[in-house]
Amino acid sequence: MIAAQSFRFRPGLPMNRDQASAAASAGPAASAGAAVRFVGEPRAYWRLLVRGAVLLALTLGIYRFWFATDLRRFLWSNTEIAGNTLEYSGTALELVIGFLIAIALLVPVYVGFFVLALNLGPAGQFVSVLGFPVLAFLGHFAVYRARRYRLSRTIYRGLRCHQTGSAWRYAVCALFWWTLILLTFGLAYPFAQARLERYKMRHTYYGDLGGRFEGSGLRLFLRGLPMWFMVVGPLLVAVAVAVSIDWGAVIAAGRQAESAADFAARLEGASSFFALMVIAIAAVGASLVAAALLFPVFQAMVLRWWISGIRFGGLSLRSRLRTGQVYAAYLRFLWYGLLLLLALAALGVVTFLGFGLVSGATGQSELTEIMGAAAAVGLYVAAMLGFSTLYQGTVKLALWRCGMESAEIEGAAVLAHVRAAGTSSSAVGEGLADALNVGGI
Amino acid sequence: MTSGSASYFDGVTSARHDVVVELGPGALHIRAHDGTMIGEWPYAELEHLAAPADVLRLGRARSPVLARLEVRDPALAAAIDERAHTVDRSGAGERRMRVRAIGWTFGATISLVLVAVFGLPALSDRIAPLIPLSVEHKLGLAVDAQVRAMLNPGGAARPFECGEGEAGRPGRAALDRLVGRLERAAALPIPLRIAVVRRREANAIALPGGHIYVFQGLVERARSADELAGVLAHEIGHVAHRDGTRSVLQSAGLSFLFGMLLGDFTGGGVVVIAAKTVVQSAYSREVEASADRYAVALMGRIGGDARALAAILQRIAGPGEPGIRILLDHPQAKDRAAAIDAAAAAAAAVTPQPLLAPAEWAALKRICG
Repeated sequence: MIAAQSFRFRPGLPMNRDQASAAASAGPAASAGAAVRFVGEPRAYWRLLVRGAVLLALTLGIYRFWFATDLRRFLWSNTEIAGNTLEYSGTALELVIGFLIAIALLVPVYVGFFVLALNLGPAGQFVSVLGFPVLAFLGHFAVYRARRYRLSRTIYRGLRCHQTGSAWRYAVCALFWWTLILLTFGLAYPFAQARLERYKMRHTYYGDLGGRFEGSGLRLFLRGLPMWFMVVGPLLVAVAVAVSIDWGAVIAAGRQAESAADFAARLEGASSFFALMVIAIAAVGASLVAAALLFPVFQAMVLRWWISGIRFGGLSLRSRLRTGQVYAAYLRFLWYGLLLLLALAALGVVTFLGFGLVSGATGQSELTEIMGAAAAVGLYVAAMLGFSTLYQGTVKLALWRCGMESAEIEGAAVLAHVRAAGTSSSAVGEGLADALNVGGI
Repeated sequence: MTSGSASYFDGVTSARHDVVVELGPGALHIRAHDGTMIGEWPYAELEHLAAPADVLRLGRARSPVLARLEVRDPALAAAIDERAHTVDRSGAGERRMRVRAIGWTFGATISLVLVAVFGLPALSDRIAPLIPLSVEHKLGLAVDAQVRAMLNPGGAARPFECGEGEAGRPGRAALDRLVGRLERAAALPIPLRIAVVRRREANAIALPGGHIYVFQGLVERARSADELAGVLAHEIGHVAHRDGTRSVLQSAGLSFLFGMLLGDFTGGGVVVIAAKTVVQSAYSREVEASADRYAVALMGRIGGDARALAAILQRIAGPGEPGIRILLDHPQAKDRAAAIDAAAAAAAAVTPQPLLAPAEWAALKRICG
């Protein structure tokens, strides 16, 4: 769900597509199915990812502004819609400045929490509970403003996109819907998505061509319901089983018991207790397995639903994304991940054997300890950045590419008459999203 | 004059124009196929924009209108590249800028790390004494609630603090006597609140605001009142130096530096935690050593045996303390003990007297029943 989420917040893609393909540029409105292509070399993208990962590690993350800008430039400019590619015109410096402004805005908020916590004395620990909704609210606010920045830096055929609407209103709506999602164990998710996407797309423009979203929450709900039962159903069984156990007797027996056999002897109906525990654990396991297996299906379903709901004036999109494509991307990620894991394990063994030899020869010196600790941290960072790089190079790139290429466009004729509108907006939203750790690419 | 075909977008509408581009002496001439002039872009004002590898995309620098010229003809693109120095198809200029940006980010990283290692401790040393005691008291209450919740496993039949009931009363009285002697000699600006709590570990902690928790395990492993007093004196040193407040200030500053400014990348979390741990233990090694020196001086003032602290430290640590030295909060027990012994030897003038009568010490040992 996280990945689907960040993909969807990513660009606010101007899915507008123009009629004429390069070959038929003289023709008026093209028929249905003008092409969206992704023309980027995966090799070039991998190069950006690997260089970025190394520099992120060396600069403790400060390089992220340049990294994000590079990735966006690559993805945007290699997405070709009816013979013309998108252009990302944002710069890393804008992101740095946006981030610094966001920090300046957030510091008083954090200091306020700190002082409040201090003034309340023992009750101060509840301030963090209070702080969570405030930060969640700011997070949604930032997501909306960040989308505005990205849209206004997205240029297609000499016209920029832009976004209107109030980030405050969006944040209130989003907070309400996410609360509902939590309270309904995810059942409200389709309706929340439809509602929030409608708000976003209603305020999204390519030039003066306004967008809207027509995906139906009910349809997504009905399609997703079987999956929800497969994942949440076993969990409900587990909860029901756990509730039916007489925990008072179990705890009492556990207190007095000296050994496992003694525990079984003391507990009345021990065999039924063990049977119930096995059922509960199996149910939880089944739920986890179902969630892992169904996640790509879910992601493909939501992506298809989202793309198919996008409209710009008389233009409409339709996605033919196949679930198998998403599965293939995840399998590739798992395969590469396994190779990385083996490589890291080998590297780790060699490193620590080396340290063992050195410290065995010279005794435990402070220097070898420091170097050992540094090597452990370095290996961990290499692993985390490595997996993140693999994920971005396989799953995220595939979702972008397949999402784009599976899209078909109807009524692209409207794109011939779009006029410029909107201005560029600041990157403070991006900075806030970054500082609050809610940013996507 | 070189010329070729290109696509042109005027930045006002989305219509695409197929145009002919002529390379004039000082500018690009953009003409429609019928020859009408559409625009004249001086080479110096050209802006090279992000595009796929086989397209040269140009705009006009600082123009509010986003007019775009897209050249696919490699020969024409090369000719434009030759004339306009802002066009950088080889990417050499971009690489130069990138190297500079990377240089600056390295500089910023090093500067922030230096701030964390040297700036923050210096800053918190200066700020901690300025914080009013009333604020420290409130801070202590807030921290106290959290620490108690963390330490107290709950659910036990007996109260978490020892010495509350009838059986522990003589022990509590003995503890109060010991603490009273130390507190009078220390002459602290805030009252101490010392409690023995039911925890197995042999340890003691000092919080901001004068709270000191001695764990039951420590009382059990102490062999004399002087040993316990030595540990108490060490913790009183933390209170006198306002180390609790300093560490709260430092960890707030570190959280801000590492959590907010740096480390917002995948896997960055652990770098942040590792960096914080290393930096904070480096602080606390110095802090512990200075609390040890305070303890030696305080024990000297009440006529106790300052070497007892060294003895109990070594006993608790056991032989060959395992673990990685830089990640330990406390400097190695052996080093500390040696430093304490040396300081005690330098200070010792009178022969130390036992701090509590044998009966009192026996009662104190039984404080947790």
